[in-house]
Amino acid sequence: MNRIDYIVLVATILAIPLYGLWRTWNHPNLREYLKGDATIRWGTIGLSVLATQAGPITFLSMPGQAYESGIGFIQNYFGQPFALIVVCAIFVPIYQRLKVYTAYEYLGQRFDRKTRLLGAFLFLIQRGIAAGITIYAPAIILSALLGWDLNLTIWLAGGFVIAYTVVGGTKIVSLTQRYQILVILVGMALAFGIAVYRLPADLSFSGALSIAGKMGKLQAVDFSVDPSRRYTFWSGILGGFFLSLSYFGADQSQVQRYLAGGSLRASRIGLLFNAIIKVPMQFLILLLGAMVFLFYQFEKPPMFFNQPTYQRAIERGHGPQLTALQTQFDDVFARKRETIQAMSSASAETSPALTAQVRALDAEARGIRDNTRKILEEAGANPKGKDSDYVFITFVLHHLPHGVVGLLVAVIFCATMSATSAVLNALGSTTAVDLYRPLIRPNASDHHYVIATKVLTAAWGLVAIAVASFASLVENLIEAGNILGSVFYGSILGLFLVAFFMRTVRGSAVFFAAVIAQTLVLVLFFTSNIGYLWYNVIGCIAVLLFAWILQWTVFRNSRPATVG
Amino acid sequence: MSEQDRPPLFRTWRKAYLFAIVLFAIEVALLYAFTLRFS
Repeated sequence: MNRIDYIVLVATILAIPLYGLWRTWNHPNLREYLKGDATIRWGTIGLSVLATQAGPITFLSMPGQAYESGIGFIQNYFGQPFALIVVCAIFVPIYQRLKVYTAYEYLGQRFDRKTRLLGAFLFLIQRGIAAGITIYAPAIILSALLGWDLNLTIWLAGGFVIAYTVVGGTKIVSLTQRYQILVILVGMALAFGIAVYRLPADLSFSGALSIAGKMGKLQAVDFSVDPSRRYTFWSGILGGFFLSLSYFGADQSQVQRYLAGGSLRASRIGLLFNAIIKVPMQFLILLLGAMVFLFYQFEKPPMFFNQPTYQRAIERGHGPQLTALQTQFDDVFARKRETIQAMSSASAETSPALTAQVRALDAEARGIRDNTRKILEEAGANPKGKDSDYVFITFVLHHLPHGVVGLLVAVIFCATMSATSAVLNALGSTTAVDLYRPLIRPNASDHHYVIATKVLTAAWGLVAIAVASFASLVENLIEAGNILGSVFYGSILGLFLVAFFMRTVRGSAVFFAAVIAQTLVLVLFFTSNIGYLWYNVIGCIAVLLFAWILQWTVFRNSRPATVG
Repeated sequence: MSEQDRPPLFRTWRKAYLFAIVLFAIEVALLYAFTLRFS
């Protein structure tokens, strides 16, 4: 990065929050601080929901995911439109009618205080840690590749977000997210255009897609019912629906986005905008990864993208082994490039043989990279996370023109800030509304609660930075974050589904059902090897089942004669 | 013009949901056509 890049980076990441502060610099009451005002329209809500979901991992890891395994990951989003329609039709009208600030406040109105506290508590644990991971994950990658101090990077991203989120509340979060997601989309579109432009001049875009397809990177939809396949249409529809319903219906960081402004119509159109836009957006990000993959078929890629780790292993005396692997890798790369060039001008008869040959060479190159990783682990060089997470940022830093590099690094920061601000805003609001107000100061003034929410938002920001600072002590932290979410999401969704669809079940039954279900999930987590996504399903179904059993056995007499 | 005064984008929300599902179905169909063309 040179001076131009730093100017673009600093100007971009400072300008948006400063504009947001200028627009929101007033003294809002609690309602305005937690829900924004009527100037928040569906477009802002739609972009804000989009920005909250698309964190930095999306823009760093997704292209790498396509580079490594193709664009089939797109199918994970197939359940989302259906989940968003259910949220529009059932969740949003109830939240809007009851004028709740948080989703868990609704649990209090439908059941009782202890169920509300349980819902809020499960959310706070999960999201408090996840906020730290959202800051840590891009910081570790940027600090490694740019040579920045890790703690400084964490504080740069985290500290600034805390400051503007505390000052402006929900309105500044929605407002800044609108511009941050626009910067992100422009940056990604530029990267896509440059990746295509940097392909060999004699290769058309259609020809490029054809080669990427033959190398197995463009299978977007797979209707296979084979359970061993990781991404299929069916798993995407079912699993994606379930996860999205938990996330959009019961996670305050999203609920607060679409309740901003207070109009049912604006909330619904904002969510439907996401139902329509999400799949094409993720497709283009994944296709960008496929283009980067193709680019590196003609331009030699590093054998291992996480270069600081690679250099550390050389310093620790593993140079000769790595040099031997590098020689093999260079040889495979040269043969593969020749075969691909032959493939692009091959006749229909010779094409299948060349395709098979290039796929075999690609598998060989992947085997060499796997062996490299093993050597790095033996050397104790500690390659954190997947090497594919470093693919896109390596491409950006080494092959994009100056200025655009700064913009793309700003994209990563914007994604970090937009996702983190939404989460901190939700954490502060939930703690103030669901814990502080009912348990500590029930009858204070509106101004007091605004100050309390600001203090609690800042406190959660510091917790997130602390988690990010100590995150390097945990191996494969990004995976740990996903597991943590899955462990708690099922029970939280179960609470809401009982509230909406099992009208005869009351507070005590659902509370103890959620406690039992959460315990069951934790026991399974510590004693079995079930894939972690299944914890969502198990937790949710267990809450529904236990709530029904408990209501009709232990709490039979607590059921009122008529229920509304 | 207030939010309530604006003309509705859809006559009923059911039609809006149907519209979103139809668009999603078109997106999946296009992705499948893309898969068949380039795989």
